[in-house]
Amino acid sequence: MSAGNSFTVEVSAGPASDTSSRVLARVGAVALTGLAGAMVTAEAVVAGGLPQIRIVGLPDATVREAADRIRSACQQSAFSLPGAKVVVNLAPAGIRKVGSGFDLPIALAVLCAAGHIPPDRLDGIVAWGEVGLDGGVSPSAGTLPVATAARRNGAGRLMVASQALAEAALVAGLDVVGVDSLRDAVAVAAGHRSGARPGPVAVSHSPHGPDLAAVRGQHVARRCLELAAVGGHHMLMVGPPGCGKSMLARRLPSILPPLAHEEALEVAAIRSIMGERVRLDLRPPFRDPHHATSTAGLIGGGSGVARPGEVSRAHRGVLFLDEVLETPRATLDALREPLETGRVVLVRSQSRVTYPAAVQLVAAANPCPCGRAGAAGRPCTCRPDQVARHRSRLSGPLLDRIDLHLAMEPVSQDVLVGPSSGESSDVVAARVVAARALATSRWSEFGAQPSGPRARMLTRDVSSDAVRASTGRPAQRRLARAIEAFGWSARAFDRCLRVARTIADVDGRDRVEPADVDEAVAHRVDLDGPS
Amino acid sequence: MIAADPGATTRAGGASWAHVAAAGTDPQALAGIVERAAADPRGFATDWRRALHTDDPGSAIRAAGTQAVLPSPTGQRVAQAWSEGCVRVALAGDPAMPERLVATSAQPPWLAIRGAVRRRDTPAVAIVGSRRASAYGRGIAAWLAEAAGAAGVHVVSGGAVGIDAAAHGAALDTDGGTTVVLGCGHDVAYPRPHAGPGKLFERVVDAGGALVSESLPHEPPRPWRVRSRNRLIAALVDVVVVVEGGSRSGSLVTATWAADYGITVLAVPGDVRAPGSGAPLRLLRDGAGVCGSPDDLLAALPQGIDRARDDVAGGAVPDGPATSGLVASSLPEAAAAVLAEAWPRPVTMADLAAQSNVAAGTLLAAITAAQVAGQVTRDLDGLRLCRDPHR
Repeated sequence: MSAGNSFTVEVSAGPASDTSSRVLARVGAVALTGLAGAMVTAEAVVAGGLPQIRIVGLPDATVREAADRIRSACQQSAFSLPGAKVVVNLAPAGIRKVGSGFDLPIALAVLCAAGHIPPDRLDGIVAWGEVGLDGGVSPSAGTLPVATAARRNGAGRLMVASQALAEAALVAGLDVVGVDSLRDAVAVAAGHRSGARPGPVAVSHSPHGPDLAAVRGQHVARRCLELAAVGGHHMLMVGPPGCGKSMLARRLPSILPPLAHEEALEVAAIRSIMGERVRLDLRPPFRDPHHATSTAGLIGGGSGVARPGEVSRAHRGVLFLDEVLETPRATLDALREPLETGRVVLVRSQSRVTYPAAVQLVAAANPCPCGRAGAAGRPCTCRPDQVARHRSRLSGPLLDRIDLHLAMEPVSQDVLVGPSSGESSDVVAARVVAARALATSRWSEFGAQPSGPRARMLTRDVSSDAVRASTGRPAQRRLARAIEAFGWSARAFDRCLRVARTIADVDGRDRVEPADVDEAVAHRVDLDGPS
Repeated sequence: MIAADPGATTRAGGASWAHVAAAGTDPQALAGIVERAAADPRGFATDWRRALHTDDPGSAIRAAGTQAVLPSPTGQRVAQAWSEGCVRVALAGDPAMPERLVATSAQPPWLAIRGAVRRRDTPAVAIVGSRRASAYGRGIAAWLAEAAGAAGVHVVSGGAVGIDAAAHGAALDTDGGTTVVLGCGHDVAYPRPHAGPGKLFERVVDAGGALVSESLPHEPPRPWRVRSRNRLIAALVDVVVVVEGGSRSGSLVTATWAADYGITVLAVPGDVRAPGSGAPLRLLRDGAGVCGSPDDLLAALPQGIDRARDDVAGGAVPDGPATSGLVASSLPEAAAAVLAEAWPRPVTMADLAAQSNVAAGTLLAAITAAQVAGQVTRDLDGLRLCRDPHR
């Protein structure tokens, strides 16, 4: 503390009052539009006029407020500001700047212009953090994408709040330094202190939550879940309340393979811009938005710059839509593009942002409006036309893209009280990893190109040509016969063939047998059949 | 476009009248009756009721109708709608009117017929029941209808969803064939799931069956209209079987008409606590016969048309209770046994896997094979054997 004081006295004594030597201070910052960052320079200069800090260069409200925070912070940190106007320009002025993270670069530029930091010490520094009235520096949302952008643009050094140090350090090859306060930041920038350095990157593998071992009976459902995990297939569960639809869905992440490093980074980046605590978590995310969630809440939205929605929060993981038929059709249909392309493009008045949205959709619905149809011993109270209308909503453009259908029933009493006989998640997960390895190596052999931002190929996503090429003629003929017998569409052919491919992978076979095709067909139900 | 040219209108109208006339109906009389019925339904109904009590209802109703100016726009429009829908119209007293209706005095002023009506000497049975049918009820209805159809017995029902649809669907492609008695006009798509290309009603006509209605083409289904058509169902058959229905079901109306006409009524017993057992229970208490199998149904057909019964003894449906083993199927034996025990109720996939103790993957593959072979049907309710597992 005493060292800091002496330093302050020494530096702040002279130059702050010397308005004749005009210094143009420059500090790097990053303007985020969604996950994409553009390099920005915060320039500050002492100009004539009444004492104030004026920020120009298309700042939004949060950035304009920075002036008041910085004035107070400088006062509290005993940094004198010039008795004249300080103009801060955020260049290029054409890009809109949003976020409290601009506080730190602006503060450093102002203090440099005021003579507290030698201008040459700020070369190559990019700063991101919020400055408090007391002079403290705290993390601001978006640290991870800022660090990514800084690294890509060849910034030498990134200064962030110490609490955000671990997050910024996730980007390899960047010199990151953490500061606690404005005094700290000035000392580090001036080279008087080295600042906090990040420790080794901590990879967490959060506990996978509920385990599959607790699922009693439900052999068909278990099989279906395993296939979903291996092929990444979307899944629809239909059954009365209490038959274990959400219980099963919640266990899907526990058998999914851990995320690759770069996938975990993508997930972390989304968390970062939402202002959440970020760590490198290899467990695939699981999101279960309520069925009343708006379209904007689901796919992302908001004015100016759109924010990520649940489909992006579930990127690389599972999006569980319970009571999917209660969700308005328009909202569901908005999911079609992300499911097809693995990303969401949101265009607003001031921006066009792209968020990743490679999700595995798990949807659940009741078999009829009253939810009881089919439940043993409980009569359905719906009229036939109500049931027909309800079921006709099960088929639609979105639900057509779902490969696996699972009709569920409540488990019977004797299964419920009997011993829990099922395999645990770890056992199933090991099989899933092996089967996925088989699939991945095959798809790379077939030269299947990942479309969009995907890091690895899932059987759900490869082109139908590749799926056909990897399946023998007899299996395809078998499938064609079944499709014809059931009067299904060509889309069903494609979906079934993918599932058959996955079934062979699960059993560790390269060849798709006719029996695999038969099973795949049985994983599809005529959803609008009779009540 | 055509309407803008008066000559064309006349020609179009003339063509439709010619079509109606070809069916053996006096077009002017029909137009008059239709006009009267559309403009003054209450007065017309009164006249019709009165006419039914005369010796020659046909002449009386013609007299009531010919008061109208002919051919009127309403009459033409209706006739054109019928003509465009390939509907023939039989007026009361015409030879085209089904003889059974004439014989039972259930005869309506006119009957609009699409498809082919069976001759009087074809044995016929009505299989009726609730729209809100259980899987059990639908299964039984289909079982009875298919066996009856295979024995050459014509199956008549009301074309509603539930029991009616199951009966029509099962009898479609059999020797006996099926007739739908609509509770609305031919141009009304009701019930919606059965109207339209490839749906039940079109399939009935394509398979050589008939759609008949006593309503004008545009008339929507109304409770009284639907109850009134139940009279026709009862009059068109030798035996009425009530499969499932609530205690206030329309099938009780059908049974009451049947009793009036002296036609045998059978009821299929169900779970006594189920809401769908109200109508059969009441009928059984009131002395209706029990229908526990297709044999009961065929045995109830009158002596004069017992020919069907002989055919049965020859092949399709054997006599006597089922004592033999299961019909061979491509399913694993344990799974087939579980399905056979539940038949005609469906078994959910989860239950089948649990009870048959077959690995999920193997079981699912076997089910698809059985489905393709036509042994098993599957929907959201579960799996069901297509046929009686013992025959």
